[in-house]
Amino acid sequence: MTLYEAQKGNSYCIKGLYVEPAITRRLEALGLNDGTIINVLNRKKHGALIVRVRGTRLALGKHISSNIEISEYQEETVDEHEK
Amino acid sequence: MNMKNNPHKNTSLKKSDQENHINVACIGNPNCGKTTLFNALTGAKLKVANWPGVTVERVEGEAVYEDTRITLVDTPGIYSLTCYTIEEKVTRQCAMDDDIDVIINVVDASSLERNLYLTLQLLELGKPIVLALNMMDVVKERGMEIDMHRLPEMLGDIPVVPVSAAKRTGLDILLHAVIHHYEEGMEEYILDYPEEIESKIAKLEAMMAAQYPNHSAVRWHAIKLLEDDEEVKQDHPLSVVNIVDRSYEKEIIQSKYAYIEKVVGETLFHKGKKAASTDKIDRLLTHSVWGIPVFLAVMCIVFFLTFTVGDALKGIFETGLAFVSEGVAAVLEGLGVAEWLKSLMVDGIIAGVGGILTFLPNIFILFLALAILEDSGYMARVAYVMDSVMGKVGLSGKAFLPMILGFGCTVPAIMATRALETEHDRRKTMLVTPFMSCSARLPVYVLFSDMFFGDYAVIAAFSMYVIGMLIAIFSARVINRLENGRRAANESLLIELPEYKRPNARTIRIYVWNKVKDYLSKAGTTIFIASIIIWFVLNFGMTGKVENPADSFGAVVGRMLVPVLAPAGLGMWQIGVALLSGVSAKEVVVASFAVLFGVANANSDAGMAVIVENIHSMYPGFGPLNAYCLMLFCLLYVPCVATVATVRKESGSWKFTVGMLTFQLILAWSVAVIVFQVGGMFL
Repeated sequence: MTLYEAQKGNSYCIKGLYVEPAITRRLEALGLNDGTIINVLNRKKHGALIVRVRGTRLALGKHISSNIEISEYQEETVDEHEK
Repeated sequence: MNMKNNPHKNTSLKKSDQENHINVACIGNPNCGKTTLFNALTGAKLKVANWPGVTVERVEGEAVYEDTRITLVDTPGIYSLTCYTIEEKVTRQCAMDDDIDVIINVVDASSLERNLYLTLQLLELGKPIVLALNMMDVVKERGMEIDMHRLPEMLGDIPVVPVSAAKRTGLDILLHAVIHHYEEGMEEYILDYPEEIESKIAKLEAMMAAQYPNHSAVRWHAIKLLEDDEEVKQDHPLSVVNIVDRSYEKEIIQSKYAYIEKVVGETLFHKGKKAASTDKIDRLLTHSVWGIPVFLAVMCIVFFLTFTVGDALKGIFETGLAFVSEGVAAVLEGLGVAEWLKSLMVDGIIAGVGGILTFLPNIFILFLALAILEDSGYMARVAYVMDSVMGKVGLSGKAFLPMILGFGCTVPAIMATRALETEHDRRKTMLVTPFMSCSARLPVYVLFSDMFFGDYAVIAAFSMYVIGMLIAIFSARVINRLENGRRAANESLLIELPEYKRPNARTIRIYVWNKVKDYLSKAGTTIFIASIIIWFVLNFGMTGKVENPADSFGAVVGRMLVPVLAPAGLGMWQIGVALLSGVSAKEVVVASFAVLFGVANANSDAGMAVIVENIHSMYPGFGPLNAYCLMLFCLLYVPCVATVATVRKESGSWKFTVGMLTFQLILAWSVAVIVFQVGGMFL
């Protein structure tokens, strides 16, 4: 599935970036690599979404999110449980 | 060595000499506090705000620590030492500058994981690096802890200094570390790539050293060659086909992040205790349905405050101005000064400049509100909220940020388009940004809506902001249609959303004071000179000094414009003169009405009454519809010369600039004519 289909509140694991090379490199520099865990904080029905990745919040447009391949990530909830 | 293409040399920095002078660059991610730190260290007053992309050019300042003079360079924030955007190019060039002796890598300690990526790249440059760990207060607030012994160890023993740029703590220690580290020299590099890459790096390093013996950052260049970096390949050509068979960028990035995960794992504790207040606020402000209404409501409040609070304060200025005007007239009278000189002083300069000064309260409130918005962290959210709307016109939500800045002043707004990824997006945004009503157009709206709309004045003025925004979006849509969506793929939003924070009083003060100063100096320069010129062209004609302005040079020129402006209900030569002079600065439209009718304070009830009376005597039917068309025309027609110059500089093209001006003129005229003709049928 792609990030565009992701549900608000869930965590996913990045499987691959299939955007234009220039954007791919920007995303990689921001820390979105294969295997990175990404948490969807907010999303619009047909558009951009807000994700948390490596401790920062990013807004991603539809074009980018629909070209990021992800898989469901079963959260071990280490971070959340510490609360 | 090919000197022409060498980016190290085309710089203004003085080579640091033996006499205790060093050059230091502040480099870091967007929004990590570089400029706040720069301001704190140098006493400069540069604009700071809480969204990525505020600084677009390198700026220099001076600091002194003990007996060492330090030239500090502030740079645009970047995530990586690549060169895709203009900001990255500017910063990268600065980082590689041979004259930079030490780099202060400013790091947002509250998002260490992402910030360290740039740190690892900077370390590869082989220059002395000092890590300024900013926002430690945020780290503490969230209950996180950083192991200050292990962190420097894992970064090759570079000095790591916790600072708070906002609270100005740790600054002396930072400067001490910078100087000490410079004298001490640099460290070994710590990150090893997989064997395959390391062996290629070694081969490339050897080749670099052989071909460019004076090169200072051999390892960095070798790694960049493996990443297939265009600029490096051009600057230092090397035949490497057998070594660089493909781009190894992905592997290099992943190795770096793998190392960062290790660093963060060993040095950062209690990550999970993060306070979620930002997420709570975001639930409303970035809501999928309420996001846009909330944004519009926020802008409504900003402009409502601008008009009402500003108007309430302006009484003070009115009395003051009347006092000055009468005083000067009396003194000149007493001195027996020639009538023409008295007229120039009172009817020309005081009327023109003074009339503009009375709008200062409105300007002040507007910029205060914008400063608070920018410093709170809301701006980046607007890019997200408006992304769907902007997507329909073929731009990303990020293009909306320069447009909002345009509510303040178009010149910095045009500069802010540098943060956009493609030249195409930049030009399109530059084209529509002048339609966002800047603060200079505010006096025109206030004056004419007060004169002709009575109780509905605020609504009439506010509608200009809405219409301007709609026309900006609509023109972008038309352009998109003409392009047939052929660039559709580029409209990808990618922006970091910072934490919300309470606006910082010092930041707001610097921001607002800078704007007020700009406004005052504009009144003292552009508007001052324009007022004198207007007074001259209205008081002199072919026969010399004329009694009746209708015989003046101004009237001759203005009359030529009457046939063009008549269909828009603006067929008065005085309006022609006002619009023409308004190209110097939009406030001059108001100043020129004041000079035309000899009104000391255009922004007072008495002054307005004189202007209305004069307009009616020359154009008996001039009513709210005409006034509205005049406001519309001022909103849409060519921007001020400062904006035109900026557009020319930023686009690098006269053709584009002239095209933009033509488009705006035609649009302004058409809209005013349509509104006047259609409106005339109903009223």
